[in-house]
Amino acid sequence: MTVKLDPAQLARLGSLPIKARVIVEGALSGLHRAAMHGSSVEFAEHKEYSPGDELRTIDWKAYAKLDRMYVKQFEQESQLTVYLVLDASASMKFAGGDRICKLEYAGLSLAAIAYLVIQQQDKVGLVACGDRKVETVVPPRARTTHLHDLLGVLDQVMTRGAVGDESPAEALARIAELTRRRRALIVLASDLFDPADETVRALAQLRAQRHDVSVLHVLDPHEREFPYEGLTEFRALESTNRMLVNPASIRRDYLARVTDFLTRCKSTLGNAGVDYHLVSTGEPLEQTLLQLLVARSRLQPSRRAS
Amino acid sequence: MGFLAPIMLVGAIAIAVPIAIHLIGRQRARVVDFAALDFLMATKRRTARKMRLRERLVLLVRALACAAVAIALAKPFTSCERKGPQVTRGPQAAVLVIDDSFASGYVVDGKPWLKHARDEALRILTQLGPEAEVAIVRASEAAEQPTELTRDHLRLRDQLLALEPSARPADTTRALARAAQLLAASSHARKTVFLLSLLAKTGFHGDESPWGKDGPALVPLELRAPEMPNVAITALRADTDPGAGNRGVKLAAEVTNFSAEPAKVELSLAIGERVVARGALELGPGDRKTKPFVAVLPVGARATDASVSLGSDDALAADDRRWVRASLRDEVRVLVVDGDPRTVRHDDEAFYVEQALRPGDRDDTGVVVRVITTEELAGIDPRSRGAAPAIALDDFDVVVLANVPALPAERVALLAAWVRAGGGVLVAPGDRVDPAAYDRTMLPLLPQSLRDPIDTTWGAAPEERASRALHLVKWDADHPIFEQFAKDDASLADANFYKISLLGPTTDTADREVLARFTNGAEALVEATIGNGRTLLFASTLDTDWNDLPMHKGFLPLMQQAVRHLARKHAPADSTEHFVGASIALPTSDLKKLEVRGPDGIGAVFEGDRIAGRSSVRFTKTDKPGAYRVIATDQTGATGDRDELAFVINLDPHGSDLAPAPPAALPTSGISNAAGPADNTRRVELWHALAAAVLLLLLVEGLLVQR
Repeated sequence: MTVKLDPAQLARLGSLPIKARVIVEGALSGLHRAAMHGSSVEFAEHKEYSPGDELRTIDWKAYAKLDRMYVKQFEQESQLTVYLVLDASASMKFAGGDRICKLEYAGLSLAAIAYLVIQQQDKVGLVACGDRKVETVVPPRARTTHLHDLLGVLDQVMTRGAVGDESPAEALARIAELTRRRRALIVLASDLFDPADETVRALAQLRAQRHDVSVLHVLDPHEREFPYEGLTEFRALESTNRMLVNPASIRRDYLARVTDFLTRCKSTLGNAGVDYHLVSTGEPLEQTLLQLLVARSRLQPSRRAS
Repeated sequence: MGFLAPIMLVGAIAIAVPIAIHLIGRQRARVVDFAALDFLMATKRRTARKMRLRERLVLLVRALACAAVAIALAKPFTSCERKGPQVTRGPQAAVLVIDDSFASGYVVDGKPWLKHARDEALRILTQLGPEAEVAIVRASEAAEQPTELTRDHLRLRDQLLALEPSARPADTTRALARAAQLLAASSHARKTVFLLSLLAKTGFHGDESPWGKDGPALVPLELRAPEMPNVAITALRADTDPGAGNRGVKLAAEVTNFSAEPAKVELSLAIGERVVARGALELGPGDRKTKPFVAVLPVGARATDASVSLGSDDALAADDRRWVRASLRDEVRVLVVDGDPRTVRHDDEAFYVEQALRPGDRDDTGVVVRVITTEELAGIDPRSRGAAPAIALDDFDVVVLANVPALPAERVALLAAWVRAGGGVLVAPGDRVDPAAYDRTMLPLLPQSLRDPIDTTWGAAPEERASRALHLVKWDADHPIFEQFAKDDASLADANFYKISLLGPTTDTADREVLARFTNGAEALVEATIGNGRTLLFASTLDTDWNDLPMHKGFLPLMQQAVRHLARKHAPADSTEHFVGASIALPTSDLKKLEVRGPDGIGAVFEGDRIAGRSSVRFTKTDKPGAYRVIATDQTGATGDRDELAFVINLDPHGSDLAPAPPAALPTSGISNAAGPADNTRRVELWHALAAAVLLLLLVEGLLVQR
């Protein structure tokens, strides 16, 4: 039986690597089969030796049999490159009730994924967006020490808090440049509050470039239920807009609009082949991670980058 | 604008209260930093806008209400030019003199002037207050006036609302005098006469002021329009027009332009209700012109109503139509007493008389002749009537005694009484007339006694008869009987008189006059007055026994004019014009019932005790202009229109002149005027309106908050 970890309690744990490890272990303790496989090196073909080829690649057995020198060419079996994209824009600062904010929830989720990826000796990188003044990019590496670096940067971002109004779309475009033609797994944790739907389009575009794309659509329960009562002044997090309103009078319309938004996100991204997960900051983190891993394990091998 | 209590404006700082409430209310609202605000803004942008607008409206309404309360407490006022007279509220005596003459129907700004005056009177009545004793005096001529002042303002209000333009001219002087009388009986110190009049100069007459120095204050209201042009038909006459045939009548409509501008008017003549002729007139300022019309009366009608109307859009329509009674010559009813009836008609006096009075026996001759014998004349006397049928002398205008032997004294007395009452008698001698017997009984009917006749041809050879004959000479050409004859008209002068009666001493009659003589100087035709009637004595026969006059063409007009003169049918047409309010005398002899119907179908019925034993009745409900019908029922029960009694009523034309009276025509204002000239401005307090605004604002605020 899986031990449910309250995100708020988890947030009070020590450093981020510990939190990531707790999440991963909590998630994997309930997993019966591994969702990811390790990488390997497989023979591809022989090629006649030409000066300049590495000597260690000469197939001495073939030379013994044929008296000609051949060079063995190998094909690496797809070492996974994972880009974690964290939406650290101001809207991610929202936290309803005594829950952790969306940024923290998204950060912890991505930390757990990074932990898992490094465990599998795959490369993992990080791009944080939101504040246009600060560029937070951690190139993908597979070393264990890289995990500490990456989680350190991630911790800094979470400590700095959600600021700015930069859309994840720009970060995704940056990743598209970085990966060039190499396929990668791109995991975005965001609330997708993007008035122009640029993020959704960028995700669909990445998917069209044959990248494997997963989205953790992080929302607070208050954003989906709108439980406010009494005269309330709502202030926007990414702008100076504010609105004094009686929530009861607009709840119905608001919920309809949110439902419409979620439906649109799900259908648009689903149609584009994006692995879409709507997660609530009220849900245990390991459950979210497990949900992601299970979903990925069910994907077609051709779709799966790992 | 000013303030009676400006200190209260300090209260305007109360505006800060709603502002503070607004701000505190905003602060009290829970603040939530919300990521999905775009959804709120996008989905309910309208709601949000509405809410913001409502909040601001509530703030504005509350601030305005606070400000209005403060301003209202400061009692703001403004001054404006006073409209209408200064009316003081409180105990006092006042009379509203209001012009309800027909000129008050003058249309000003789309409605009759009287309605403007009535509105003003109602306003004054309201301002006077319930403690004022008030009376309303109408300024039209002969209008019924109140007998006392009253505090019953509801009744006065009803009186004002019921006011309509009358059909009479204005008599402002009389109305002011009545107002002075009413106020004189009041014990109030403050007495005022409010004069709501067109102030036409024709409404004022006489120089004597209705009150002295201690009289009431006079407040004339300026209700006249700057210009009040008016064109009216001021007279209409009708007369026979022989040139247009037997049924021709000529009418003359007099039109007057009572304005300073030239006017062009169209006129139409209606016989009955049918327009038969049209015409036009151009009138200069103040002009008075006559438009003649010629028309033919309908077949069968001897008299009918005619009217002339103005076709222009005149502001005062009441005087744009005038009526007249157009008639052919009045019918003369003649009773011919034939003293020597013959079976051969041309030997009979009555034959020549009847032919002269009713040539061709046509109805349009205007003369109705009945011939009776001397014996039948007994029918006029109920005591000696015997087998003779009853004869009512009142059914006749003229009695012709042609060669009638002397009548019994009783019968003569009856005839004389009838003549004194207005009848006419023509006496002509003949072979059956005995002068001595006439002297005994007939003198009450004669201007002179008769003497024995003389035969100028006695003993003469037949060829000498003509030369010895007498002729008519020296007739009075100015007399109505001879007005159609020239001085030596051959149609009369050529007639030969072979035998004439000489006349003796004059009788007890008045105004005896010899209208014609014979060539020998003897009187040929003598007239005298008996009471209200007339008698004519012709000194020869009315047939060809003594003369050949009936064979001359002058005989016919002479006889017709003689009976018309005796029947008094020569009254000038304009003397029968009656104005609204006239009292019309209607003869009722031998009538059982007399009904008069006015233009609106309403009139009066005289029957029973109102008519029994009376020779005439008076009809006074002539308060509407137009044609009045008279329907009579005689003793036999026969009912029918009596055209000869029908009459028309018109407006008094002097009321059509709307020229303003000079200021001096108005009486001097009395005691209340000593207070000095009235302030021409008045203060209008605004706090009532502001209080109402506060209530309205609170209501709006409540609605806004509730929503």
